[in-house]
Amino acid sequence: MQKIKTFLIIFIGAFIGSNLRYAESLLFKSSNGFPYGTLVANLSGALILPFLIHYLQDRYHLSSKIILALSTGLLGSYTTFSTFTADTYRLYQSGSWTMLITYLTITIIGGFICALLGNYWAATRAFIDYAGRRKNQ
Amino acid sequence: MTFLLVGLGASVGAFLRNELTSLSQKIKIDFPVITLLINIFGALVLGLFTAHINAGGLLLFLGTGFCGGFTTYGTLNMELSQLWFQRRFFRCFLYFALTYIIGILGFVIGIHL
Repeated sequence: MQKIKTFLIIFIGAFIGSNLRYAESLLFKSSNGFPYGTLVANLSGALILPFLIHYLQDRYHLSSKIILALSTGLLGSYTTFSTFTADTYRLYQSGSWTMLITYLTITIIGGFICALLGNYWAATRAFIDYAGRRKNQ
Repeated sequence: MTFLLVGLGASVGAFLRNELTSLSQKIKIDFPVITLLINIFGALVLGLFTAHINAGGLLLFLGTGFCGGFTTYGTLNMELSQLWFQRRFFRCFLYFALTYIIGILGFVIGIHL
């Protein structure tokens, strides 16, 4: 029973997250084949996940169920690693070296920087809230 | 119709990922080994699907949906940033290298199997 409940919670998040990614892949379809869609989904997801876990969760007292739906379900399915490897292989095969190197660099370095920024963003917002509360006291 | 295929596939993938990551709380390895294995395995399987499935709908369900939902890039970078903030730079670098090198290799092996 517990497993079915967990599945349903993840189902809601994953359904929305994966379709957001799919919509972006259609929306940002480029004539030269550069995977803008995957990149936009992955970088934005990498930025928001630490902000959700380290700020929004505490700020809005989100329950563990909501966090499961939003982090494991929504953001977990919104971002993807497998499609990134497929994109990489496709760019390699088409011999578009500039696009391949650009895509690899932005994905590998950019996602990490986005995650660092997400952590700083969370810490900054938490500090502003804390300072605001002290001022009101 | 297509959004149903993507959404259903991703839900199954995400649920399976959640089952596996809850295992990682039981095993005592001080390294995000579960996410690493999920991403490598997901890339390999997507390679297999890409090579052998021609039906567009099934590929959306299993590839964009299941593999996309099973593997995750958000958690990978979250874990990398955690290792970075804990100043465990060697582990961070190792996790980086293992994920990207074996992950891409996984897809290439999958597509040629």
